[in-house]
Amino acid sequence: MKYLEFFTIDVWTMIFTWINMAILFTVVKMLLFKPVMKILDQRDAEIKKIYDDANQANEQAENLKREYDAKMARAREEAGEIIKQATLSAQRREAEIISDAQEKANIMTKRAEAEIAQERKKAYQEIKSEISDISVAIAGKMVQREITAKDHEALISQFIENVGEV
Amino acid sequence: MDVAINGPKILFTLPFAGGINITESVVHGWLVVAVVTGVCYWLTRDLSVTNPSRKQIIAEKLVTLVQGLVDANMGPQWKHMVPYIGTLFAFSFLSSVMSVAGLRSPTADFSVTLAMALVTFVLIEFYYYKSKGLLGFFTRLTEPVIVMTPMNIIGEFATPLSMSLRHFGNIASGAVITALVYGALAALSQFILGWIPNTFIANIPIAQVGLPAVLSVYFDLFSSAIQAYIFVMLTMANIAGTAD
Repeated sequence: MKYLEFFTIDVWTMIFTWINMAILFTVVKMLLFKPVMKILDQRDAEIKKIYDDANQANEQAENLKREYDAKMARAREEAGEIIKQATLSAQRREAEIISDAQEKANIMTKRAEAEIAQERKKAYQEIKSEISDISVAIAGKMVQREITAKDHEALISQFIENVGEV
Repeated sequence: MDVAINGPKILFTLPFAGGINITESVVHGWLVVAVVTGVCYWLTRDLSVTNPSRKQIIAEKLVTLVQGLVDANMGPQWKHMVPYIGTLFAFSFLSSVMSVAGLRSPTADFSVTLAMALVTFVLIEFYYYKSKGLLGFFTRLTEPVIVMTPMNIIGEFATPLSMSLRHFGNIASGAVITALVYGALAALSQFILGWIPNTFIANIPIAQVGLPAVLSVYFDLFSSAIQAYIFVMLTMANIAGTAD
């Protein structure tokens, strides 16, 4: 068996070592680093995509919620408006009805007052004519005895006084 | 009992260019290439993005480990160096650690570590040229004052030399110490059992049980890992330093 020196520089060993290192570098790069780095990059990209998707979905949900909230607020406002309108119109209607009723009552009262006044006038006329009749009748009776013009006058005014003011 | 401390064994000689000696260092280098190829092929079969298998997780861990190392020591702009740093670490570590199996480490051969360090040297010079241009490539040697130029040139060549010598020295000395301890323990076994007339029993290397295993943990596993790490760290630091 032949040996090289323990401490020596053998050019061919160096050359073969370089060849070995070159082969090893190619192998390590092509069989290990390249495929694994590719996988790691793909995984990173996938994770990024998942995050992006999640963020997008979140954003969408938030937008929907905002929209829904806005719609709800608008609906509530509308409902309030409707109630307010209804209350207002009811109040208006109430006032109308009351004023109507009052007006009617006023008219009726006036008519009744007018009627009463007329009736009273009528009654007064009637009474007056009746008084005339009675006074005529009394005069007729008085004719039977002697009556002075003085008596006559006293009698009528006394009667009218008894009837009272109209 | 004689203990032989040899250089790498010449396994065969190619019959051209005046005879090219193929040593253990080269063949064991092929072994490293073969093992790494097999492992890489096996680890990265059926890769999946969403559902990684157990071996894929190991492969990803290895890749991200080297990526993290390069990122921390060189910065993200040196991303393209990741496969080379991984290669260098794998070659250095596996070459050194194969002495566990009783194979002579290629890194216990100065020719191999020098070849490795020269690659780093070429990369350093290349990146100096790339970042400073042709003029800056030479003027950096005259800094901070022109008198320093010879020192700077020596320093430039000292980098690969010290790296390769450190790596070689650590691994080779580990191998030498291991061989010496084995020899000594064989002698001790002879001393303990040598009086037994039965030659089979007398030759059982009883003292070699135990202690070499403990030494092996240090010289083969720990030292291999540390030297590979140091070599890779120095390579990264020196290459990244060219951009300053």
